Amino acid sequence: MSNEEHIGLMEPPPKRWKGPMCVTEDSWVAHPVLSDEESQDIEMIEAFAAPIVDKKETSRLVRELGSIHPLNGLEHLKRVRAVKDKASPHSLEVLLCLVHDAPDTEAPVSIDSLLSSAVSSEGLGQPFVVNVPARAPLTRPQFELVSKQWPTSFHEDKRVTLALKGELFSPEQKARMQSYMMSAVAAAEAGKELGMEAVGAAMVDPSTETVVAVGHDCRADHPLHHAAMVCIDLVARSQGGGCYRFDRYPSCSFTPPDSDVTAQPYICTGYDLYVTREPCLMCAMALVHSRIGRIFYGTGSADGAFGTKYKLHSQKDLNHRFEVYEGVLGRQCEELKK
Amino acid sequence: YEVTLVMETKEGRSGDTAVEDIETWMDKAFDMAKDALQNGEVPVGCLMVYNSEVVGKGRNEVNETKNATRHAEMVALDELLNWCHSSNLDVSRVSRNTVLYVTVEPCVMCAAALRLLNIPTVVYGCRNERFGGCGSILDVSSADLPQTGNTFKCVSGHRAGEAVEMLKTFYKQENPNGINAYLNLPFISVLLLFLHLSFYFFSPQTKNEEGLIIHDHICRMIVLLLLIKDFFKLHYVT
Repeated sequence: MSNEEHIGLMEPPPKRWKGPMCVTEDSWVAHPVLSDEESQDIEMIEAFAAPIVDKKETSRLVRELGSIHPLNGLEHLKRVRAVKDKASPHSLEVLLCLVHDAPDTEAPVSIDSLLSSAVSSEGLGQPFVVNVPARAPLTRPQFELVSKQWPTSFHEDKRVTLALKGELFSPEQKARMQSYMMSAVAAAEAGKELGMEAVGAAMVDPSTETVVAVGHDCRADHPLHHAAMVCIDLVARSQGGGCYRFDRYPSCSFTPPDSDVTAQPYICTGYDLYVTREPCLMCAMALVHSRIGRIFYGTGSADGAFGTKYKLHSQKDLNHRFEVYEGVLGRQCEELKK
Repeated sequence: YEVTLVMETKEGRSGDTAVEDIETWMDKAFDMAKDALQNGEVPVGCLMVYNSEVVGKGRNEVNETKNATRHAEMVALDELLNWCHSSNLDVSRVSRNTVLYVTVEPCVMCAAALRLLNIPTVVYGCRNERFGGCGSILDVSSADLPQTGNTFKCVSGHRAGEAVEMLKTFYKQENPNGINAYLNLPFISVLLLFLHLSFYFFSPQTKNEEGLIIHDHICRMIVLLLLIKDFFKLHYVT
């Protein structure tokens, strides 16, 4: 293979090349920041299963096992699985009970010791131990992983599956998302020029596709004026409230108040925040209080509260849940840190 | 009821969180919380005390500013910063020696903000079951967050019952979607009147003397009970 071909294979030429600063929407992917339950591997527990030698006994066995060994809290597990290996002498296997629920018996375990005297072991083969998932899978990757061990039921959230594949947003949506993040990056750069931390944010009303407020970090003035906090106050000002003046910073701006007050949302309800860096715990909770719609950030941060240290958007006890995506214009946002 | 907050300077006593000090400062924090309640804000009030001097005070002002981050602590922290600037003192030196007195456990946001400013001690009344950042939802006060300032010490429980009651009073009157919204007197009275009339016109059983009288009695009893209930509720708020 010639050198030229090799490069061509490794890096397809960019579709729209407009100059060195141009970024295309396919250079980044918005990854969903999922809760631990959705993103971590599911804990597996040991259970006894046995081959069904006589298929005619299946319905009786399922019924009787259901009454002596009900799968309490494990309703996601299928009682019977088909054996994929065609060479196997039996085609079905049945789940008997969890190992820690089984009556104490010496090894090797006999089938009769696992069943009460009320259930006949007729039609069952020698029991064996299998791993089964301790809880129901929540995402397709989790489902595919646990299904290799034992079949489970799965109620698929199609949005999550698409988001995990990076296919949730259309190219048009991604182009818009990119332009919003670009304005946050531009604000961050302007702030950096003024000696602030290089963090920028843009608040967007997705229903009208308009930018409501753009702001940057103003920590040099006030230790708590992080970019997200600045944006929240700018939104308040756009609604005729607010308590700070950022007028001396040309890159901190908001859309002037709507004359029709009824058209305004309650604080930031339904708005999307585009922020170059993962918000800290203070900003994250401020966004929860502000009833933010969705959050898109470029790159993670050390004490970040939307993925790194905490996942505040999926915190059980908080009554406001929302979606968080990371990686929007990730490389440009990462460069701001330097 | 006028709230007057006396800015006292140098009361003389040393020891930042002595019991008498807690009582004195918490009294004033409660005054701030009452002011919030009277202005339709979540009743939380706080005080920042440095060297026995109030350098910041605040009450919730979220509705007033349309900014959901304007909690009492954030307002008081702004005052502390202004005080430092006007007294020409170093913010970090002052905040590292300041005690926060607040009627309710600081929320996650405020707890993180207190850490960012290195406030060492927080004295609070009741727990904040919805948003608390000192153990109720998260324990921000002691969490390992190297980029988020310093951990702080919490002293809790002073007049906790009173602080909870104020919050309950607020949420009872505030929540327009709650069941209480439908249990108000005019609504119930109109409903009863309708029931009463429909019974009278459409139900043949109630047309005899005895039935009507019993029906009337029940209606009057319910209205009276509701009146008593509302009287006590109003009495309790003010």
